[in-house]
Amino acid sequence: MTDLALAETSNSLFNVAFFVYLIAMIAYFFRLAFTRVSADGVQTSTAAGRRVGHFGLAVLVGGFAVHLTSFVMRGVAAGRVPWGNMYEYGSGIALLAIATALVVVQRRYGHLVGFVIAGSLLMMTTSLLLFTDAGPLVPALESYWLQIHVSAMMFSSSVFIVGFVATALYLVKDRAETKLARTGSFTGSTVGAARSATVTPTGEGDVEGRVADADVGVEDVQIASATAQRDVLNPVLFPVVPFVGVLLFVLVVWRAPVPAMLAASVAALIGSSVWYAVPYLPPAAKLDNLAYRTTAFAFPLITFGIMCGAIWAEEAWGRYWGWDPKETGSFVTWVLYASYLHARSTYGWRGRRAAWVGVTAFTALLITYYAVNLFVVGLHSYAGV
Amino acid sequence: MTDTVPARAADDEQPAAPRPPGPRLPLLPTPWEVAGRLWRRLRRMSTALVLLFALAVATLIATFIPQEPVIASTVRLWRTGEEGPGAAVSGVLDALSLYDVFGSWWFGVLTVLLFVSLTGCLVPRWAAFARNVRKPPVRGRNLDRLTHRAELAVPDGLTATEVLGRAERDFRTYRTRVVTTEDTAPQLAIERGHWREFGSLVFHSSFYVLLIGVTLGAAFTFTGQIDFEEGARFADTPVGYDTFTAGTLWDTDRHNGHITTLDDFEVTYLPDGFTPDDFVSTVTFTSADGERTATEEIRVNHPVHFEGLTYYQRAFGFAPTVALRSGLNGAELFEDQLILRQDGGFWTGRGKVSVGNPAADPPLPQIAIEVLFLPDAEFADDGTVQFNSPEANDPRLLLTLYLDDDLGLDRTVPISRLDWPESAVVDRAMIVPGTPVALAGGLFEVEFADLSMWSGLQISHQPYRWLILTGASMVLMGLIPSLYAYRRRLWVEVRDDRIVVAGVALHRRDRFAETFDDIVDGLAGTLGTARIAAPSPSKPQTDPQGSPS
Repeated sequence: MTDLALAETSNSLFNVAFFVYLIAMIAYFFRLAFTRVSADGVQTSTAAGRRVGHFGLAVLVGGFAVHLTSFVMRGVAAGRVPWGNMYEYGSGIALLAIATALVVVQRRYGHLVGFVIAGSLLMMTTSLLLFTDAGPLVPALESYWLQIHVSAMMFSSSVFIVGFVATALYLVKDRAETKLARTGSFTGSTVGAARSATVTPTGEGDVEGRVADADVGVEDVQIASATAQRDVLNPVLFPVVPFVGVLLFVLVVWRAPVPAMLAASVAALIGSSVWYAVPYLPPAAKLDNLAYRTTAFAFPLITFGIMCGAIWAEEAWGRYWGWDPKETGSFVTWVLYASYLHARSTYGWRGRRAAWVGVTAFTALLITYYAVNLFVVGLHSYAGV
Repeated sequence: MTDTVPARAADDEQPAAPRPPGPRLPLLPTPWEVAGRLWRRLRRMSTALVLLFALAVATLIATFIPQEPVIASTVRLWRTGEEGPGAAVSGVLDALSLYDVFGSWWFGVLTVLLFVSLTGCLVPRWAAFARNVRKPPVRGRNLDRLTHRAELAVPDGLTATEVLGRAERDFRTYRTRVVTTEDTAPQLAIERGHWREFGSLVFHSSFYVLLIGVTLGAAFTFTGQIDFEEGARFADTPVGYDTFTAGTLWDTDRHNGHITTLDDFEVTYLPDGFTPDDFVSTVTFTSADGERTATEEIRVNHPVHFEGLTYYQRAFGFAPTVALRSGLNGAELFEDQLILRQDGGFWTGRGKVSVGNPAADPPLPQIAIEVLFLPDAEFADDGTVQFNSPEANDPRLLLTLYLDDDLGLDRTVPISRLDWPESAVVDRAMIVPGTPVALAGGLFEVEFADLSMWSGLQISHQPYRWLILTGASMVLMGLIPSLYAYRRRLWVEVRDDRIVVAGVALHRRDRFAETFDDIVDGLAGTLGTARIAAPSPSKPQTDPQGSPS
């Protein structure tokens, strides 16, 4: 195959993967509705739910294989590693996020995979908006440090996506749990991580629901009805907040009203699904734990990535750190994720407050990736589109 | 303070009683108290978090507001109001020094506070760590009350000491201690995971190394730029550079005067035509005493070192030699290689030909030329320009000759910044190499004598980078154990009828819960015995010591 044919096949496979992921996501959400997760994390599905779950996993693995092929072919067509512009980078992040979901999330938190796919799909959509033809790079980007720096950033970003999904779902689930506990009508044990951490103040926060449940006694564990869990949450906020957020973000970054409306509608749909899915989510403490574990994995990676970037900057531009907008942005992200890890083990901060720090950190990551590449003039601009 | 407390209490009980004589309640805390309170507040983790957020906010501002040290030209446009939010807002930004966040006084204060907070946190932690790490594993009491607990049958024919000896071998990677006392069952106390605290301490301490490295590096650094054409040379002297910046402690005597000659410059382009693929300067370095020479290739991403300086490839362009002669007597007015910079596909440059003398009679005008170089382009009939290639296949110069009483040539402004009026234009011509052209009705003659390339190098001396690299490695090497290692204690106790294995983790309890069973099974395998069903713990407890250190 010629390079051109390879590049075209790669693009078609990317689109195929997009639709296969879409099907897998629907299957995962469908399965979620037929699954009950008890307070100790045990999930039970109906027979239909199980079948759909297996189908979803098979489709997802297929989609991943197609996406991986597309990614590799792109690299062959361009004659270099396939992470040289924003389209490729976004595709790589989506690919690695799916891989992380398959390796880390599928086994124990299978019902969360649908949300990670949603994140990947949003990533791929923005990638398509920034599409560039396969081609070689400007000389400053031709360095093996590029391969190390960018791949570390790409990998850590994809794991941060999984961490963000867990953090956001934790905030929702925790809200439902604490509100339910406050109504007094429910005496079950779905205690939020914020409270379970108060039960064992010496802990670092890696407290599982089980530890918190110990005082209540296993036999007391019960689940509030699905409707009760949904009723304590405001159903209007769930579609409206993502809609407005995504609409403003896309309008500000791309000034394109139609894609903005489309993306915002998808976000609103995902928001509503979160509201619907609240009763089926794992206990808040488990979600919090997953968020911490993924972030703690990605943090050394992003640290390493930033350091490689500094070494590369030293070789290419003659200084290791110049407060270039991209460097500044990644520093903000790093500081915020460091704050998240600290907040997670600080008494009075763990739980919801720490989770909000995590959400802020992820926002900083997105701003550093999109806004700085597209808006702000700096040395990284040419790496952008 | 102590004697005022009962006085106040007495007031509460007997409001009508007169105030007993004694020292008055101090209205203001003493400076020592203020300092003490501040210190305690700074040491708190939540304060450190707030400081980190402040750092993030400051940096975020610096991401979106152009920073003068990074991109001064944009800042200039923001100040004049041509770009950005306008001149009025710009004044406010300037007042808050938001155009130079990282050089501002408040960012300095923030850095100092962060380091004070860090010190306040680290000193007690290092001390506690030094104490804890030397302590041998402690004997566990109330093992039956621990959540993670298992019981093994006592293997036949082994004494308690032998059992513990074998178990000790099984826990070779742990710290172990056999505890035997008169009135308790013999026990093996096991501990592991001081790495977590050590890693965390190394991670946090690395910021001092980074700070020292950055500060020393900034003080002793030197960065200069030079643009020079093929065949030209420059010496490493304070005046040899086009522009330079130096740290406050840079010693100008460190310029050792070695000479760099640009032998050749090559650029190749990508098949798409205009994106440079590779550009490389071949230079020869000669030390000041002429004893050492080296010929090196400098290309992007491949800097070259010579005598303590590092040479980076930075920019390049065309350097045509232009000669301007008097048409009357053939006297040479100007002959120089012009450093042309790219400007939207064209390469433009200016030459300062002569500084006229307004005092002369009649006043002698100033002469200047402006050239526009076309490496390979065609003019279409509708006046547009079609660029064929960035390579000089068909080199042509569009030359404009300026003649005016005051072109500003005697001002100390870079010639590229001067603004010349259209009324000063005397003549224009398109010239090709080797063919002299007469200008202004034969008053001048201009010749495009030769074409070569110029190369822009950045030359820098950045000491103490090894300190920064050390700090960076400490960050990474500390980070990983601080997130993944975890401190846990285990006990193996040999009782009359069974062996009790119990454990507790101080961090990452979920991880420990996953591994505890494997540890017990491994131990059972080593001892050649099997589990016996253990009674469920009466009440789970986090640590048998009561208060973990």
